[in-house]
Amino acid sequence: MAWFEYLLIPFTDPKLFFIAAFGTFAGFIIGALPGLSVTMAATLLVSLSYTWDTIPAIVLIIGVFFGGVYGGSRSAILLNIPGTPSSLAATFDGYPLAQRGESGLAIGYATVYSVLGGLLGIAVLATASPLISSIALSFAPRDYFLMMLLGILVVGSVGSKDLPKSIFVAGLGMIIGLVGMDSLTGVDRFTFGSVELKGGINFIACMLGLFGLAEVLHQLRHLKKNRMNDISGQFLPSCAQFLRFLPLSIRTSAIGVLIGSLPGAGGEIASLMAYDHAKRTVKKPSRPFGKGAYEGVLAPDTANMSAIGGALIPMLTLGIPGDAVTAVILGGLMIQGLTPGPLLIQSSPDLFGVIIGAGIISAVFVFIWGLMGLSTFARIVLIPKHVLLPIIAFLTVVGAYAIRNSVIDVYWMVIFGVIGYFMKQYRFPTGPMVLGMILGPMMEGHFRRAIMIEQGSLLGLTTSLFTHPISFLLTFAIVFTLVTQTPWYVRSKAKLFKQHQRPAKIE
Amino acid sequence: MKWLRLGTGMVLILSLILLSACNAPVFLSNEFQTTGTYPSKPITGVIPWDQGGTTDSIARTISPLVEKELGQSIVLTNKPGATGSIGTHYVYEQEPDGTHLLFSAENPALYGVLDISALGFDDFEPIALYARTMATVVVPADSKYKTLDDLLQDAKARPGKIKMGSTGPGGLPHVVSSMINGAAGTRFNLIPFPGDGPALTALLGGHIDATVSALSAAINNQKAGKVRILAVINDQPVPAIPDVPTVTQSLPQLEQHLPWGPFFGVWVKKGTPEPIKAKLAKAFAKAEETPKFQKALRNIGAIPMNLHGKEAERYWRDWQSTTAWLIYEGGEAKVHPAKLNIPKKPSRSDQER
Repeated sequence: MAWFEYLLIPFTDPKLFFIAAFGTFAGFIIGALPGLSVTMAATLLVSLSYTWDTIPAIVLIIGVFFGGVYGGSRSAILLNIPGTPSSLAATFDGYPLAQRGESGLAIGYATVYSVLGGLLGIAVLATASPLISSIALSFAPRDYFLMMLLGILVVGSVGSKDLPKSIFVAGLGMIIGLVGMDSLTGVDRFTFGSVELKGGINFIACMLGLFGLAEVLHQLRHLKKNRMNDISGQFLPSCAQFLRFLPLSIRTSAIGVLIGSLPGAGGEIASLMAYDHAKRTVKKPSRPFGKGAYEGVLAPDTANMSAIGGALIPMLTLGIPGDAVTAVILGGLMIQGLTPGPLLIQSSPDLFGVIIGAGIISAVFVFIWGLMGLSTFARIVLIPKHVLLPIIAFLTVVGAYAIRNSVIDVYWMVIFGVIGYFMKQYRFPTGPMVLGMILGPMMEGHFRRAIMIEQGSLLGLTTSLFTHPISFLLTFAIVFTLVTQTPWYVRSKAKLFKQHQRPAKIE
Repeated sequence: MKWLRLGTGMVLILSLILLSACNAPVFLSNEFQTTGTYPSKPITGVIPWDQGGTTDSIARTISPLVEKELGQSIVLTNKPGATGSIGTHYVYEQEPDGTHLLFSAENPALYGVLDISALGFDDFEPIALYARTMATVVVPADSKYKTLDDLLQDAKARPGKIKMGSTGPGGLPHVVSSMINGAAGTRFNLIPFPGDGPALTALLGGHIDATVSALSAAINNQKAGKVRILAVINDQPVPAIPDVPTVTQSLPQLEQHLPWGPFFGVWVKKGTPEPIKAKLAKAFAKAEETPKFQKALRNIGAIPMNLHGKEAERYWRDWQSTTAWLIYEGGEAKVHPAKLNIPKKPSRSDQER
């Protein structure tokens, strides 16, 4: 624990303290603006830091990281546009809450539990890094595949009541995810010889279209509906409410840390899995999920915040980035002459201590910045639509361009905005489409690797599912999830326990 | 409320038009910009790879140093996708006036053979090749393979059974295993990963038997006792790891391909006026010599090159010839290298057969 003495450096050095606070604020703004990503901000800051000392630079980046992941949920709740991919799940219940006039409370929940998730993630990073990284390493390609498969089953939770529609839309999303160069062999798929299509259709652009622009178009059609006169004055959950959701938030934080620590799987998958977990395990939610359940807001928010600590684990213990932002930090550290890797904690305990200290400060400042001006933010939903809708439309265009500095992404955003409008019109859920686009390509790559490792033998792959503990657990979870969805299971369970589960009534 | 729908639509269309205008090549810039005053406006540096990769890191280290020499700012943007061909294509679409630089790695040299893009380095001119890196063959620390010969013998005894991490056609592990296969008559089961980071992760977890990794990543993990480096793909031992044998100690036939490895540099579109190229080359040469850049290269385990003009041209063409034919002989080429007028180096066929 040689790093422990360095933990307090960011607290005692006013300059570092200020940098962490500023970074969190800047990250918050960047994260809340759709399309501007934490990765982008981190890249800019890392290159600035080539002329700085390492420590202030890393403190700034950690601040931006925390602020940015948190900020994404702000636009998800208020505008139904996920500010970052990892806040996709925050739209499912956050936006309905805002529509009910509880925008302030939704943000309050997101903030309080984000801080909790962020701190738990940092705590795991500080205490259990070697353990978590060895668990992450033992995930074989087949386990990644199983995990993505488990993720796809989230469709059952995310979509509306109409499951066939959700499955159809998710499948469509997966097919759209296939467009571009095959990542394993370089073969073109559905590109029609176009250079732009070779890079694939960017899922963030589609997400901005399906959520942002589609929502604008949808509201233009229903201008008279959903008009609110005032919002609820309660902003913070009460102590009893906080304690009531504490066990759930600790479980979802654990999901966040574990998934965040897997290289190649980050906050976006963690938050979806956490939402699914909440929906499955909470028997009596405050409201039905999808209609504004507090559980549906706090579960994804704790998970994507604790995934930050998780993503830092493989970077600091193995020298392998856990996600895109940590990849940027890793590149920056290497240029500085620090070699993140198995030896980092021993060779540069100061860096490790400072990262943890900066993480704690950033989490606290997420709370401060998050609640600052909350009542103003919460009133965004009251802004007259003739002012708000053009602003959202403008933001989606700029955001789409900012993803890769490419106008093609703007076109995709508009195309998917129109598609999303018709989907909403005919009551097709848009969430599963983005889910399919994110998970489909990853699932495919992992499946192909898994089967190549078994020399192409399906039998070998099937047996390996039962001979490895992690694979067996995941397979069991998938089978369990599927079986519990069948009417047969529900009936036999009801018979066994002589009780009927009544779905909670809508208030 | 009709005007509202109209208004929102207008804003949308307007911003679209604005954006496409931003993106379009700036017309007439060639005529207005006399080469004597170049660079009179900010330069766009396009990195066709993601943030955080080696290409990105090196570009972001050198560009502030070049800015100082040119007295003009370089705005770096990442345009990743399709093995770097999206960003490469973007730079090709611009006017050849030196306002757009391509901070690339070696990949465009292989676009033809792998049929990734119709473009390639033939459509660009190198300003500077500033660094190259080296590859190593690594196995987990608890592996039964103690030397490269152990690995090769087992690969010969059980062809196609040894799981080797790969990064797709044209990637480091793919080309190196083609080299080794050609010389030792081995065959590996190549498992493609999205990058050498994920491949190394799988190796550390024991899910694959061996992989080919960049020197810097391999050294760190060897020091920590996590992996064993069986050989460096070079003809001379590397000072940082003097005990590790070179690949030529086991397979002397490989010497003809070496030195081989990824390289990094900056390119402009073909047809850029000579004075602009000269000015850029001079600025980059000066930036490359700064101790700061040299140190940054050492930190990431890269070897400085500092090649310009004709030398740079010769280097990548030579590299392309070696690699393209290796890929072709490995059976992974989609287009015959001869069709692309890539010459075969004469010495090789005599030695191999």
